[in-house]
Amino acid sequence: MTKQQFIHVDADATVKPMPQTSDLVSGTIDGREVAVPWGTTLLEAAASIGTVIPTLCHHPALPPDGNCRLCLVEVDSRLAASCLFPLRRSGFSVSTESPKVFEARAFVLKLLLSRAPNDEYLKELAVKYEAAPDPRLGDLADGCVRCGRCVRACQATGTEAISLVGRSQERQVTGPFFEPPAQCVGCLACAKVCPTGYIVFSEERTSRSIWGRDFEMVLCPICGEPVGSLQELARAGAAEELCPACRRRAMASALVSGPGLSL
Amino acid sequence: MFFANPQSLTDFVKSPKNDAKIARRLWVCGGPGCLAAGSAALLTALENAAKAAGLSEKPELRTDMTGCLGLCERGPLVGVEPEGHLYEKVVPADAEELIERTLKKGELIERLVNDPKNPGRQEHPFYKPQTSLIMRRMGRIRPDSLEDYLSADGYKALALALGELSPEEVSRRVEASGLRGRGGGGFPAGLKWSSCRLAPGEIKYVIANGDEGDPGAFMNRSLMEGDPFAVVEGLTLGAYAVGARSGFIYVRHEYPLSVERLERAIAQAEKCGLLGRNILGSGFDFHLETVEGGGAFVCGESTALMASIEGREGQPRVKYVRSVERGLWDCPTLLQNVESWANVPLIVEKGPDWFASLGAKNNSGTKVFSLVGQVRRSGLAEMPLGSPIRVLVQDVGGGARPGRTIKAVQTGGPSGGCLPLSELDLPLDFDHLPAAGAIMGSGGLIVMDDLSCMVDVARYFTNFLKGESCGKCAPCREGLGLILRILEGLCRGQGHPGDGQELQSLGRSLSLTALCGLGQSAANPLLSTLRYFAEEYQEHEEGFCRSGRCQGLFHPAIDPDVCTGCGACAKACPSSVISGGKKEPHVVDLDGCISCGACLAACRFGAAKAVRKK
Ligand SMILES: Cc1cc2nc3c(=O)[nH]c(=O)nc-3n(C[C@H](O)[C@H](O)[C@H](O)COP(=O)(O)O)c2cc1C
Ligand code: SF4
Ligand code: FES
Repeated sequence: MTKQQFIHVDADATVKPMPQTSDLVSGTIDGREVAVPWGTTLLEAAASIGTVIPTLCHHPALPPDGNCRLCLVEVDSRLAASCLFPLRRSGFSVSTESPKVFEARAFVLKLLLSRAPNDEYLKELAVKYEAAPDPRLGDLADGCVRCGRCVRACQATGTEAISLVGRSQERQVTGPFFEPPAQCVGCLACAKVCPTGYIVFSEERTSRSIWGRDFEMVLCPICGEPVGSLQELARAGAAEELCPACRRRAMASALVSGPGLSL
Repeated sequence: MFFANPQSLTDFVKSPKNDAKIARRLWVCGGPGCLAAGSAALLTALENAAKAAGLSEKPELRTDMTGCLGLCERGPLVGVEPEGHLYEKVVPADAEELIERTLKKGELIERLVNDPKNPGRQEHPFYKPQTSLIMRRMGRIRPDSLEDYLSADGYKALALALGELSPEEVSRRVEASGLRGRGGGGFPAGLKWSSCRLAPGEIKYVIANGDEGDPGAFMNRSLMEGDPFAVVEGLTLGAYAVGARSGFIYVRHEYPLSVERLERAIAQAEKCGLLGRNILGSGFDFHLETVEGGGAFVCGESTALMASIEGREGQPRVKYVRSVERGLWDCPTLLQNVESWANVPLIVEKGPDWFASLGAKNNSGTKVFSLVGQVRRSGLAEMPLGSPIRVLVQDVGGGARPGRTIKAVQTGGPSGGCLPLSELDLPLDFDHLPAAGAIMGSGGLIVMDDLSCMVDVARYFTNFLKGESCGKCAPCREGLGLILRILEGLCRGQGHPGDGQELQSLGRSLSLTALCGLGQSAANPLLSTLRYFAEEYQEHEEGFCRSGRCQGLFHPAIDPDVCTGCGACAKACPSSVISGGKKEPHVVDLDGCISCGACLAACRFGAAKAVRKK
């Protein structure tokens, strides 16, 4: 079994919401002036001046959900989830580290840690915000923080094999009826976006397993390296596929030998 | 019956009708409480008795079912028209007498009224302090009869609006009335109306929130089942004002009768030209349908409700753009509670100034409260906003039960707050309650007496809310779990010094960080009891429950000076460890006492008390 580590996606993969007008809105973040296009989220606005706000459920390639509450900041003396909060008016005044924000984050971290006490990212934040899991919460440490990034990733691929079911503390990620999800194509998108490495999978050259399902791998006809699972490629509408390296090479040689191209 | 224009509606109401000939009528209450107490069987018995007495041929003497009359605790209720008398706890065996004496001859049956000297509903102490706007048609109309509704001023407002008023004017009247949302938040309705009216968009929606998730609350249900046309008319006016052509009434899953009544009302209104295409010949189209709720408490929250109508899981969404701009299917949407909607026809018809003259400053109109708990008379009561809590509890409700004293009043449903006796003069309105740490909510009011343990009360509501937390956001999902664990520990005698303080900080953080209104208000029961009953928390940290509610955290002791020797406690004791002669003070043998508190609850004189364990 391999455990997937927290994958940082490059900032340029960010999906920006279409601003409705081209106007700029301006205000201050931690006292620093900032001007951004109308509708930019607070998180993006902060990032644009190099201010880092801790996030967990947010993933730049996925629709925001605002469920972990780690990214709360103080906007005009009220708390708002910066990953979702759209800046639509000039004159905002944001504090990303006020006492209220500190209190909120310490509380949220205490709770999140009870689910994933060994997560390095959360542990690091816990030091900064002086948070520790409360033993009275009981043993909840299954490693899943219920951020739903996996579910959103699966939805984004159009597969919708897994979902979050159950209310309250029973809420969990699973396939329909707690069975291995029949719709799953074994693309591992869920595992790749999981911040804590809760979603386990195993991968060999010719096979892959995840969510209690086994998948056969398609091998690159040129080099023999695994390209993806059979069902994953079928979902993409491709029966046969070169591996990324061979594809690049093939494309490069097509370009070089193609007509009308002079170097 | 079809109304091609506003005038035809006015003419119809003025024309003489069969009903005008009704000489006397027995109105059997068809409210939820009376139905549960067997009022349907009572109606059948009355109809049979009337038939047997040969009255079925006489249309001037009638028996009919109407909406909730309010005094549920004393049901099944029967109202007598035109005398206005109110019969309580009527059973099928009384049917014959009711027909023979009351319906035929107009006689009063003294044993069935609260006070034979004042047999009228208006003089009844439960009704006297009330002001009936929303409930005014209960006891006057059959809920599923459009004709009855019309004869009781129904659709006057719509005829006026479509005949003479512009959409702006309808909206302006609601704005000027100062109406605030009756579903909990008390948000000014007019702000929503004008923003929704002005919001750009071809397609707009209006929605009535009839999810009524608070346990024990049934004011919205009574309204939907007792006067469904009022909700329909309100929505039609709203749609006209903001420019919506379709609307939904979202009804709680457990209310099949509400759905049935509303659908019948919608169908009748459509048939008569009061809904659907070209309403009253004005060119205005409005299509209305009911949607059955998703079956969870959180589905009553606006964003979850809209998700549910859209066919998605009923779960709240973070929204920093308001529904009046982007709501149902991202279209401008005007969502109001059903009681808010039912106020609209009145405001439009009688004018905003008239409405604003009722109630209190910034809190115009009335509110229907469900008064339950440890009072003598419980039920639905409609009061002008700003009435002191005391009037509702003492006058309407009749105060504490024998031998007990009132300790607290919990307002606002499960996420409301508990107020102590010292706050009883607080006005019931959208401003004073929040300032005191409670909320108006949907109008639930639970009276608690000295046998209620406030730590246990906090535990009870926290447990309910934890179960209803949708689990989406971390603070509510895990935070309520942690709070509940600590509260459970306190109630079991496993508390620690400092628990109260810790709970205070957890509750505050939860309110600050949760995603939706459920989590943001879930700490209210905890924080309000901590604020007003801190000493009970401290005692629980030490392992003592003064209310005799938390098992094992007290000893019962009988005050010999108060004890009358009635023996009720000895009878109630499951361990048979209470003894004493007739009319002699009783004593508890603590050997064998399991400290269950049964004797405390049984004593009508307040002689049995909880004391600290030695
Ligand atoms: C957890 C939760 C449950 C709610 N349940 C109801 C409900 O059952 N009925 C209702 O009218 N409003 C309910 N609300 C309030 C609605 O979100 C919304 O504010 C209201 O329906 C708006 O109508 P109003 O302004 O007329 O009150 C609830 C809110 C929350 C946070
Ligand atoms: S506050 Fe509670 S009910 Fe609301 S979104 Fe969070 S978990 Fe769900
Ligand atoms: S990152 Fe914004 S709420 Fe989770």
